[in-house]
Amino acid sequence: MPIKIALTKGRVEQQVVPLLEASGIDCSGIRNKGRRLIFDEDPVYETILVKGPDVLTYLNSGSVHLGIVGSDILAEQNNTQYAMLDLGVGRCRFVLASTSDFNPQQVRRKIIATKYPNITKRYFQSIGEDVEIIRIEGSVELAPLIGLADAIVDITETGTTLRENNLHVYAELQPVSTQLVVNRLALKQYHSEIRTLVENLQQAKNNLGVNE
Amino acid sequence: MIKNRNLPSGTRDEFGPRAAVKETISAQLFSIFKQRGFTKLTTPILEYADVFKPLNLDNYRPYQLLDEQGEALVLRPDLTLPVARMMSTTGVELPAKWYYGGDVFRVKKQLSGSYNQVTQAGIELVGSSSIKGELECLTIALAGCFATGVKKMTLELSDARFVEGVLEALPVPEPTKVALKQALFTKNLTTYNQISELLNETEFGDFLSEWPWLFGDFDTVMKVVKRLPKIAKVQTVIENLNAVNQFIKRLAPDQRVVLDLSIPSPQTYYTGMAFRGYTQNASDYLFSGGRYDDLLTSFQQIKEPAVGLAFDVDALADRVPLPEAPQQTLIYFEPDQWQQAEQVLKETPNSTLCLADSREEANRIAVSNNKKLLDLTKEGE
Repeated sequence: MPIKIALTKGRVEQQVVPLLEASGIDCSGIRNKGRRLIFDEDPVYETILVKGPDVLTYLNSGSVHLGIVGSDILAEQNNTQYAMLDLGVGRCRFVLASTSDFNPQQVRRKIIATKYPNITKRYFQSIGEDVEIIRIEGSVELAPLIGLADAIVDITETGTTLRENNLHVYAELQPVSTQLVVNRLALKQYHSEIRTLVENLQQAKNNLGVNE
Repeated sequence: MIKNRNLPSGTRDEFGPRAAVKETISAQLFSIFKQRGFTKLTTPILEYADVFKPLNLDNYRPYQLLDEQGEALVLRPDLTLPVARMMSTTGVELPAKWYYGGDVFRVKKQLSGSYNQVTQAGIELVGSSSIKGELECLTIALAGCFATGVKKMTLELSDARFVEGVLEALPVPEPTKVALKQALFTKNLTTYNQISELLNETEFGDFLSEWPWLFGDFDTVMKVVKRLPKIAKVQTVIENLNAVNQFIKRLAPDQRVVLDLSIPSPQTYYTGMAFRGYTQNASDYLFSGGRYDDLLTSFQQIKEPAVGLAFDVDALADRVPLPEAPQQTLIYFEPDQWQQAEQVLKETPNSTLCLADSREEANRIAVSNNKKLLDLTKEGE
């Protein structure tokens, strides 16, 4: 039986495929994928392409053995599987951002818009504040501009989108990067195969100069 | 008419072959427990939430409700703690050997395809401090798997005292130990390697580089353990594990025994060896158990040794291919033939009484349900 990997499609996929290839996995199918979602070119590892939030659903059920997904999603979904390796790509950070007239010290229950309610809740709990959270599915930057929320919690890589929308960073939350996640039982069942992959990925990371 | 006819998320109805398989598996396990002289213990499904305080709810929470005084009740998420509660309040003579069977309720992530109601069957040995307790559990674990059709399995042994013993001996300050342990348990290699590098030059360096991977075939793992400098505490744990490995080898020479010395204990009340079983293709453990001498300390002052084991009946049932139901025979009869029908029912395997009022109706049921019709009213016509 091949080892199944759920890979987050899109940007993560583009950044990780070179690492997988450098680890000796045949990714020719993913490079010319058309509309396919299952790739079995490699004799040992079968890759499926899924949306980020679905990686843990597949992994938790045991339908796949490994997942490759951003730590933002792992934190938001309270991951309990093994996040074994930081692949060093997809680096960005969580920030609290708002318009220039936002006052973090204002005395009232703030309204925060975000795609990540759990991370937001944990952050404000850690600083001893209670906020009202509004869940937004996309273009979170709009919320403080339109007056839906006082501020937002979102991920940013370079800060360009925030700047273009005249938003400022008020606090830095946790950093984000792409992780290799392993199903707990699969690690035992496929010890040597998974260890080989992890070590090859570590090697590939060094060779390709992905910085820690 | 009732509008909401949906099941709550995470639940399911079980009927037909699936329900039959689960019933058979539970009966097979119970018969082993009984044959070895265990006594049945049935605890209620509802308990006070406090009973489960020692439980580390990793990725689920219990169903909660309030009793008439406003105290929090839960649907039991575990079957071991109720045994401890019962032992601490009833003054049962020790040592005691209990067996139990029933459902536990754990609310998992919604709409993720996981079930919140899982059937378990297991045993608790309270008052046994000897390693014979562990051996009895493992004997039953193997017997239970064989009886329910598992031919080939992997038996995993572990002991959290190993990790504690090694950490204690490391020449680093306490916060570093805590961080290293955390990284080891979550298998976060990136962080683990950063910390363990500090100890590269010490006598532990050789061992530490392998520690996150310290699971697998018993003998292979033991070879890595030999790289450790002598630590008295660890030595006893190792001797214990070796003895149990030898025992399993004699009892079931064809089964694979693996060792994991890099994991935390399953619950905080575990104090010694833990064991689990799985098959190569399964996505769940078939059974798990271990020694928990601290189990009763949450309920009473006096500590009592205890060791136990629980089978996951659903995981065992998932492995069994659902049987094709053999064709059933419908016995059609007039009401005054009831006694004759009763006799035929007794003599005909896989038969059932047809309760329809007319021969036409009986015929229709037989045809549409693909059943054989045995018509007693025709005889002597």
